[in-house]
Amino acid sequence: MTKPKELLDDSKGTVKLLLANEAIARGVVEAGVRLVALYPGTPSSEIGNNLTFMAPHIPNFYFEFSTNEKVALEVAGAAAVAGVRSMMVCKGPGLNVAADPFFSLAYVGVRGGMVIVVADDPSMWSSQNENDSRYYALMGNIPMIEPADPAEAKSLLLEAYTLSEKLELPVLFRTTTRVNHTRAPVEFGAIPELPEKIEFKKEPFRFVPIPAVARKRHPWLLEQIEKAREISETSSLNFTEGSGNLGIITSGVSFNYVREALQSLELDAEILKLGITHPVPEEMIKSFLAKHKRVLIVEELEPFLETHARRIAQREEISVEILGKEQGYFSRTFEYSPRIVIEALAKIINRNTGINWDAIDDMEKDLPDLPPRPPLLCAGCPHRATYYAIRTATRGKAIYPSDIGCYTLSIAPPLETADILFDMGSSITTACGLSQVTDQDIVCTIGDSTFFASGLPGIVNAVYNHHPISIVVLDNRTTAMTGHQPHPGTGVTGMQEEVKPTDIADVCIGLGVQYVKVINPFNSIPNLVKEVREMVSWTKENNAPAVLISKAPCALLTAAERRRTGDYPAKYFVDSDVCNACKRCLNRLSCPAMYLNPDTGKAVIDETLCNLCGTCVAVCPQGAIKQEDA
Amino acid sequence: MTSDTRNTINIVISGVGGQGVLTLAEILAKTALACNLNVRVGEIHGMAQRGGHVVCTVRIGPNAYGPIIDNGTADILVGFEPVETLREIATIKPSGIVLLSTHVQYPVAVSMGKSQYPSHKEILSEIRKFTSNIYEIDAMKFAKDAGSSRSLNMVMLGAIIGTGLTPLSKDAAIEAVSKAFSKRFESINTKAVESGYTIISNAIA
Repeated sequence: MTKPKELLDDSKGTVKLLLANEAIARGVVEAGVRLVALYPGTPSSEIGNNLTFMAPHIPNFYFEFSTNEKVALEVAGAAAVAGVRSMMVCKGPGLNVAADPFFSLAYVGVRGGMVIVVADDPSMWSSQNENDSRYYALMGNIPMIEPADPAEAKSLLLEAYTLSEKLELPVLFRTTTRVNHTRAPVEFGAIPELPEKIEFKKEPFRFVPIPAVARKRHPWLLEQIEKAREISETSSLNFTEGSGNLGIITSGVSFNYVREALQSLELDAEILKLGITHPVPEEMIKSFLAKHKRVLIVEELEPFLETHARRIAQREEISVEILGKEQGYFSRTFEYSPRIVIEALAKIINRNTGINWDAIDDMEKDLPDLPPRPPLLCAGCPHRATYYAIRTATRGKAIYPSDIGCYTLSIAPPLETADILFDMGSSITTACGLSQVTDQDIVCTIGDSTFFASGLPGIVNAVYNHHPISIVVLDNRTTAMTGHQPHPGTGVTGMQEEVKPTDIADVCIGLGVQYVKVINPFNSIPNLVKEVREMVSWTKENNAPAVLISKAPCALLTAAERRRTGDYPAKYFVDSDVCNACKRCLNRLSCPAMYLNPDTGKAVIDETLCNLCGTCVAVCPQGAIKQEDA
Repeated sequence: MTSDTRNTINIVISGVGGQGVLTLAEILAKTALACNLNVRVGEIHGMAQRGGHVVCTVRIGPNAYGPIIDNGTADILVGFEPVETLREIATIKPSGIVLLSTHVQYPVAVSMGKSQYPSHKEILSEIRKFTSNIYEIDAMKFAKDAGSSRSLNMVMLGAIIGTGLTPLSKDAAIEAVSKAFSKRFESINTKAVESGYTIISNAIA
């Protein structure tokens, strides 16, 4: 809720309450970054959401929502190769998409500073996996910095650019959800002026890694990473705090939990906090290990620092007990908290944790089963209407490959229209694979932003290899799940300019799809059901893919637009005289704005939650759901 | 010995996506910052927001480093809805205070008949197993009286200050609220904060 313009405040020394993602957006301005490219992905989304509204007010600054992460990394990489500071931002799985250019970029290096922000998601609050991106730094020989909190998210970002320019390498800036989505006081620094356009100086035998070039660049890269290690040894980003017999090595968000755990237990220990986690400061770790009989390693997800510590201890023949995940003190899954560190420490020093957590856990387990409240498609969501029609048309018997977006929520009853999902764009490609090994009908669904991000190669594949699949594009005119970013189909850019929107139907026709239709899901549910049936038959008869574009704006956009204009359609209500309490509306739609009146057993529409889509009207066999007179 | 809560006030806010949980957390933290206090807010965005259960944490005090409030360490649990209050009850300290907005929002599973919504009596008796300091508030009524059902979170803000457990003043909270929103909502929000504050400070006094 800190407004994007507040992040442009030129008063050095001001302290504001910022989300780490807002602090990173501010850091972009303070670091004099000239270009940022990204595809939105939670928990990194607010970085772009702020930059897009800041960008038009920063002279000589360019920001774009790229079509996907691979594209974004290439756009930002080229800018840094040319010689200006640039940034690419993604969530953990986004770096997998961008892995190809990531490794090449390390070989050719950069002239201007470049930072790749990757936001991992321990506990998978909004991701399909919790893969630990730190291994990309190791595998790609790219230096890595990890901030612990919002203040470091900005201060270490500035350090990352200095490091990047010293080494002529991009720097991986790795955060986790509990850094990205923590708010804390952050002090503003000065804003420099940005350079005008620069001239690209050709150096093909560095920047075109044909084998003869790449063979020279790989040894160069290893030399650079050795230089980086020397910097890491003396950097103030790697420091010790406190003193005691016990040593603790930690980084990122876990540093906070270690500090709180030590205070809670009133325990003395020396902490080695690493801000640069690749390359690790070998000498520093060596002397730290030699100084302590026991060293605890506290890090979420994989034993990354732990493996380094064990490697160094073995090589240097240091007799030290290294305690971590390998002995089961910590888990490789899910995020940590002070409690997890307190419990590990209590076990190691044979002390009481202070709080009887086992008793609290038992009491929590003894609570009655509470009705679950998972995230749902919003009231008025056009996807609900479309999925209802898909399910009705195929009687729930088709295979429903799904994709990444709000619509994956259709996995839940009663829609149950998500059967298989790997990654962005996989709805279409998994449908291709399934169509060759089953005779079942296949209706896959993909969102508009995902269509542009990763859907196109799948469409071409389906056309070329004539896979009989029905593809429904859920075009809600935005990238909804990550906070309503524009995409090529919306006609708005990251610089907030209006451009000609790319039409999804035109794209499909251009790619060779013979059956392309566009429909508004709210116009007529029975008609939508009929359209889905026709499409499925057509794919079988013609042994080719068909595309139906179900086009209506996200309910949240519609609601915001109505609040702005004050122009509302008439309200819907359940006529309790006509309603026969069959509950079909509740059982088939699961709309959050409808609930059961426990006294009458009949459905009621909560008018404070209803977004006035009217889908329920068509679902009621009695005609009991009505719209008030306008 | 308590866990890491010396000099730190831990507040857990639990509710349903769309009720203004995140906004309340941010306003509370801005109030703390305006009072020159260290503060951390923990939020969950994205998938967790779509009408689902939402939890935010606010931690005020010099020793608050991270955003997380473990079980048994919350000083105040603010529940925007009865079941959502009970869902987070394990976070409360035995001496902690529960502020419960009594307005029910039925989860879809209940409407579909797949799950039972517990009785109010049962919810209260389960909460009492963790702490006896429960304050029920008809926050929806106060919000509507103030001028908008959407000011429910502001009623809860007033209630939090009204506990007297935070180092924040009501005036600082009202100022943070008026800075954050358009002037149009100022009188509604102020009224909502005042009503929450009054009911809880009177109940506790």
